[in-house]
Amino acid sequence: MALSFQEAEGCALIWKFIDGVQQTYQSVMGAPDDGLSDDLAIDMPASIQLPPADIRTLHELEMTIRNLSQSPAGRDALAKTIMNEDYISKLIPLVDIAEDLESLQDLHRLCNIMKTILLLNDTAIIEHAVSDECVYGVVGALEYDPDFPSHKANHRQWLKNQGRYKEVVRIQDDQVRRKIHQTYRLQYLKDVVLARILDDPTFSVLNSLIFFNQVDIVQHLHNTPGFLKDLFAIFHDPNEQPLRKKEAVLFIQQCCAIAKNLQPPARQALYTHFLSQGLLPVINFGLRHLDVSVRVGATDILVSMIDHDPSLVRLTIYEQIQRHSLPLTDTLIDLLLVEVDLGIKSQISDALKVLLDPTPPGAPPQEAREFMVGQARLRAQQGIEPQQDLFLTHFYEHSARRLFKPLLDLEKRTEMKFSPLEDGIFSYLNDILCFYIRQHQHRSKFFVLTNNLAQRFVQLLACKEKHLQLVAIRFFRQLVVLQDEFYYKHMADQKVLGPILDVLLRTMPRDNLLCSACLELFMLINKENVKELIKHMVENYREKIMALSYMDTFNEILNRYDQTQGFTASVDPYFESEDELGRRPMHGNAVGLRGEQLAIDQAQEEYLNTSDDDEDENIATANRGMGVLNHSLATNGGSAASKPLVEYNSDDDEELDEEASNGLVEADTVMTPADTASRLSNGDSESDSAKENKAPSTPTTITSAAAAAAAAAAAAATVTPPERLAEKRRREEDEDDDALNKLTQHKRRNSSGSVGSVGSNKSTSSSNANTGSSPRKLKLAGYTADETRARGGGRSSRTASPNGTNNTALGQGQRHGHPKKIAISIAPSVKTAATTGGKGSQLGGQTQGQTTQAKAQTQAQTQADGGGGGGGGGGGEQ
Amino acid sequence: MSDLDRAIAQLRACRPIPEAEVRQLCHKARELLIEEGNVVTVNAPVTICGDIHGQFHDLMELFRVGGDVPDTNYLFMGDFVDRGFYSLESFLLLLCLKVRYPDRMTLIRGNHESRQITTVYGFYDECLRKYGSANVWRYCCDVFDYLALGAIVLGASNTLPSSSGQPAASPPADEVEIEVHNAHGHVISRFLRPKETKGDGTGGARTASPNGGLSNGVSSDSSSGSGSGSASSSAPANTGPPGSGASGSSGGSVGNPAGAVLCVHGGLSPLIDMVDKIRLLDRKQEVPHEGAMCDLLWSDPDEIDGWGLSPRGAGFLFGADIVKVFNHRNDLSLIARAHQLVMEGFKEMFDASIVTVWSAPNYCYRCGNVAALLELSEDESGLGVLARSNGEVNRSDGGVGPRGVLMENDLMGARSGPARRYRVFQAAPQDSRGMPAKKPVADYFL
Repeated sequence: MALSFQEAEGCALIWKFIDGVQQTYQSVMGAPDDGLSDDLAIDMPASIQLPPADIRTLHELEMTIRNLSQSPAGRDALAKTIMNEDYISKLIPLVDIAEDLESLQDLHRLCNIMKTILLLNDTAIIEHAVSDECVYGVVGALEYDPDFPSHKANHRQWLKNQGRYKEVVRIQDDQVRRKIHQTYRLQYLKDVVLARILDDPTFSVLNSLIFFNQVDIVQHLHNTPGFLKDLFAIFHDPNEQPLRKKEAVLFIQQCCAIAKNLQPPARQALYTHFLSQGLLPVINFGLRHLDVSVRVGATDILVSMIDHDPSLVRLTIYEQIQRHSLPLTDTLIDLLLVEVDLGIKSQISDALKVLLDPTPPGAPPQEAREFMVGQARLRAQQGIEPQQDLFLTHFYEHSARRLFKPLLDLEKRTEMKFSPLEDGIFSYLNDILCFYIRQHQHRSKFFVLTNNLAQRFVQLLACKEKHLQLVAIRFFRQLVVLQDEFYYKHMADQKVLGPILDVLLRTMPRDNLLCSACLELFMLINKENVKELIKHMVENYREKIMALSYMDTFNEILNRYDQTQGFTASVDPYFESEDELGRRPMHGNAVGLRGEQLAIDQAQEEYLNTSDDDEDENIATANRGMGVLNHSLATNGGSAASKPLVEYNSDDDEELDEEASNGLVEADTVMTPADTASRLSNGDSESDSAKENKAPSTPTTITSAAAAAAAAAAAAATVTPPERLAEKRRREEDEDDDALNKLTQHKRRNSSGSVGSVGSNKSTSSSNANTGSSPRKLKLAGYTADETRARGGGRSSRTASPNGTNNTALGQGQRHGHPKKIAISIAPSVKTAATTGGKGSQLGGQTQGQTTQAKAQTQAQTQADGGGGGGGGGGGEQ
Repeated sequence: MSDLDRAIAQLRACRPIPEAEVRQLCHKARELLIEEGNVVTVNAPVTICGDIHGQFHDLMELFRVGGDVPDTNYLFMGDFVDRGFYSLESFLLLLCLKVRYPDRMTLIRGNHESRQITTVYGFYDECLRKYGSANVWRYCCDVFDYLALGAIVLGASNTLPSSSGQPAASPPADEVEIEVHNAHGHVISRFLRPKETKGDGTGGARTASPNGGLSNGVSSDSSSGSGSGSASSSAPANTGPPGSGASGSSGGSVGNPAGAVLCVHGGLSPLIDMVDKIRLLDRKQEVPHEGAMCDLLWSDPDEIDGWGLSPRGAGFLFGADIVKVFNHRNDLSLIARAHQLVMEGFKEMFDASIVTVWSAPNYCYRCGNVAALLELSEDESGLGVLARSNGEVNRSDGGVGPRGVLMENDLMGARSGPARRYRVFQAAPQDSRGMPAKKPVADYFL
C-alpha cells in the first residue's frame, strides 16, 4: 500500500483509517475481529453504514453519500453497500412519499442522491436502476432537479408510454423483451435524464451496456429459429397491412444499424441470413414505397449492407444481369433521378459509387471509401475480377446513359434554366462521374469522349446559377488533377478553358466563391505546369490572360509559354523538379489518411486489420503515413529531398515487422505513454498530468525537471509546444480529440527537430513518449530537409504508430466493459516534453549498439535510470 | 419575407422550423453565401463573437448583452454547432438572421462546420432526433461548405465611444485601449494605452493584463490603471507572456495602429503569408485534413517560436513572431479568432496582436467559464477609414514615412490595435431555458 499525502483525499483516507483502527481497539468487545485483518486497509470503507432510508434523515444521507463519493475507495464501498443492501429499492418509496408531502426540498435531495448513485459508475447499479422494478422510481427522483427548481421533467410519463415499443414479430423470450426495454431506458438515461451531468466514465459505461444488450438481442433474433422467417413473411403476404410492412422495414433497418457493431463473422452470418430470406426484394419494395421514411429505411439497409460487403450485393446484381431482369443499380439510378428526399439521394449516389468501385474482393471494406480514393486507383491496376468486369461492361453499355441522362439532355437545351429539382441533380452526377473517371480508366474515358460530356459541362458554365457553374468547374478541376494527357488534350480540343476564363473575368471584380474556384483551377494548371493546357490557353486566349496578368498566376502562365515558345516537349530541369514536388501530393493522395483518424470506428479498425496480413496495424499506419510525409514536405514548399523518404519507407517496414513479431510493442507500454512520460520527467503521479490537461492554452506547469528540461530544449535546439493527448469524450477545452491521433502519425514527419529523436528510435515503445510528444518546430525558413532529418522523420512515423494501436486497444477496452479512463497525456508541459526528448536521444546514443530485440520495459527502465543527467545529451548526439 | 420573420420568431422560441422551410432557407443562404468572398469585408462597428456550440439560450443571452440583430452588426467566427443540445436551433436562427439581414450578420466557418466533425460531436444526432432523418443535417452541411473562411474588419476606431455605463470620472476616451464590461454594461476594468516613452518591457506586461486583471479584478469596479493613467502601474501585478521577451524584436512592431482586423476561426497557416492568398482557395468543400483551409480553421496561437505541431492533429501552433510578421505584412492591427476555450471569455496574446474570443458560457453546460463579445467601434473622425487598408502595404501610414523602417516607426506610436470593448457575460439563468437535454428517440423496435 502506498501512502500519499499529496492530496486532501488521501490524507483524509489515511486519517479515517487510523481513526477506524483506534475505534476498533477501543470497542474491542463489540467489534468483530476481522477489523484488524490484513485486508482492512484495502476495503476498509466497505464497512460503511448508510443512514436508514427515511424521509426524515434524507439530509444526513445526502451528506454521507456525497462525502463518500469524493474518494475512489469511498465510491467503491458505497457502490458495494448500495448493491448489497438494495438501497435503491429502499429509496424509491421515498419519492412517492415526498411527492405526497409536496416536499420539494426532499425531492431535490432524493434527486441529488440518485444522481450521485448513478454517477458512481457501477455497472451493476446502473443495470439495477433500469430494471422493471426500479426504473420508474429512479427516473421519478430525477425529475426534480435542484438545478432547475421551477421545472419538473416528465421522464416517468415518457417511459411508461408502452406504445413506443413496436413489436413487429412477437418475441417469445421474456428475458430478451425485458432487455429491449432496458436498452431503451439506458438510452433515455444517457440522452435525456443524465445528458447534462454525464461524466466520461459513466458515459462509456452506459454506452457499453447498451452495446452489449443490443448485440445480445440481435444475436438472439438471429438464432431463434423461425423468427426471421416470420419477419420476412410479412412482405410475402399480399393481405398484410401496409403499416406492418412499413414497420417491418424499419425493424430491419434498426437491426442493420445494430449489426454495424457486431463482430464481422456474426455480421456476415446475419446478412447472409437476411439475404437468404429475401432481403433484396424487401429493399426493392422499400425503395419504391410512397412513404419517405420507408424509402429512407430501405436505403439505410442497402447502404449498411454495402458497407459491410459490397461484393455480396454485386453478386446479386450480377445474378440479376444474368437473368436479364432489371438490376438493382438501375433501380437505384431511377430513384436517384426522381427522388426528392435529399438524404436518400446522397446515399444512393454513394451506393452507386461503391457498387461500381472495381476494387478486387478481399480488399478493405468500403467504410473508408471516401478516403481511399487514391489507393483505390492503385488497386484498380492490380486487375479486376472478371465478374466485376462484366458488371462494369454492362453498366457502361446500358446504365450509364440512363444515369447521366440529365447531363446528356443538356445538349438539346438552349436555355439554361432549371427547376429546383432539376438543378439539384447535377452536383450528384458530377460527384459520381468524377469518381468513375478516377476508377474506371478506359471505360469512363470512352464514355466521356463519346458523349462529349465536357461540352455539357461547358453549357453549365453558361447558366445563371452560380452553384451550377461551380459544378462544372469542379469537373474540369478533376480532369486536371488526373494528370492524364488524354484529358488534357480533350480539354484543349473542346476549348473548355475559354469559357472558364470568361466566368473568371465576369466575376472577378466581385471576389466571390466562383471566382476563387476559377483562380484555384488556373493556379493548379500553373503549378502542375500542364504544358498542353498552358499552350492552348495562351495561344487561344492571350488577351484574356493578359487582362488577368496582374495576378502572379497568369503572369507566370504567360512566361512559361513565352519561355518555351510553345514547345511542350522541351524539358526544363528546373521546372521538372518543381513539377515533381507539385505532383506528388496528387499521387500520394494521402489526404484521406488523416481523415480516417477523425472518426474512430470499428470500420476503420477492420480496414487496418485487413489491409495487412498480420495483426500489426502499425505497419499499415506507418506505411500510409509515408504518403503524408511526402505530401507535407512538398506542400510546405521547401526544397525537400524526396528520395530518401521513399527509401526509408521500406526500411522502416522491416524494422517494424521485426519489432512487432518480437512483441516489443507491448500493449501495456503503449497504453500508458502518459504514465511513462510523467514517470520519466519527474516522480509525479499520472493523475497529476491528467489534471493538467485542463488548461491547454496556458501551459505553466513548472515541474521539478524544468531546469533540466530547459537545458535539453536548448541542446536539441527545439522549441516544443505543449502537447497532450487525452482520450476523453467531452473535454473541458475545445480540443477535438478525434483528430488528435492524426498528429502523431503524420505531421511530425516534416519536423526539423526530429534530429533529437533519431537516436531514440532504437529504443522501443517507451520512448514513443519522447518522439510522440515532442512536436517539432516547423520553421519554413530553415526548412531544408536533409537526409538526417528525413530519416528522423521516417523513423518517427514508426514511433507514432503505437498510438494507432492505442486507439484500437482503447476502443476494445470500452467495448469489453472496462471503461477505464485512459488519459493519453503524453506530455504535461513544454518542459517535460523537452526533457524526455533530450533524455531519449541521449539514451539512444548509449544504446545504439544494442539490438532492437531489447525488451521495451528494460529500456524504459534504463531510460528512467539514466534520465538524471539527460540535459546535454540531445545535442551532442548528432 | 413574412415567412422568414415568422421562422425567426419560431426559432427564437427555440422551436425548430419544418424541414421544407429549412430547405428553402438553406437555398437562400447558399445564394447569398456564394457571393461572398473567402474573406468577407466588414465595416466597423461590429461585434465579434466566438464559438456558440449549440448553446441556444446562451446565444439569446449574447443577443441580449450585445444588442439585437439589425441594431448590432454581428460577426460570428464559426463553431455554431455540436456539443450543446440546441445546435440546430442556434445555427438555423443565425442563418435566418443572415438571410434576413445580410449586411448585419457575417458568419464564417469553424472547424465544427464539417460533416465529419458533426457526425461525431452531436449535430448529426440532433438533426436525426429532431426530424427523424438526416436531411436537415445534409442541408446544413451544404451551407457549411459555402461559408466564408474569414473576415476583415475595416474602419475600426482607436477610441472607444462613451457608453452609458461609464462612470463620470473616467479617463479621456482616446487613452482607453481596452474596456471590459459585464453583462449589464458596467465597466469592470479599463486599460489605457501605454505612454510613448515606455520601452519594450511593459509591452508584454501590459497586454497580459486584461486577463490577469479580469480574473482577480472582477470584483473591483474601477480599472487598475485609471488612477495613475499609466499602464506601467498595472505591470508588476502581471508577468508578461514568457515568449514575448524572447522573441527578438520585442513586441514593438506588432499591431499597426491603422491596420485592419482579421477574423478567422482558428488561426494562421504556414501556406498563407498574405490575406489575399486566402482568397485563392476553393472553399466549397468539406474541411480538408490539411492545407491552408484546414489550418485556418484548426490552428492555435501558442507561446512558441515559429510553427509547431498542433496537439489537435490538424492545423498548427504558431508563435508570436509568426503573428507579428503576418500582421505587419498584411497591415493588420489585430487577429481575432475563436476555437479555444478561455475561462475569462477572451484572451489577448502576443502584445495584443491576437485575441481569442469565446462566446459559449459554461461550455458543455459544465465548464464554468464566462463568455465574451468583442466590440469594435466605428471611426467617426472620417480619417481613420482612409488610412486603413485591406491588406495593402504602404498606404496605411497615411504618408508618415516609408514602411520599411518599421522598427523605429511603429515603436513610437501606439502599438496596439483598435480600441476594444469586451462584454463579458455568463450563462443564461438556468430557469430561463428549461432543462437542456436531447430529444429522446420516439419509437423503438429493439
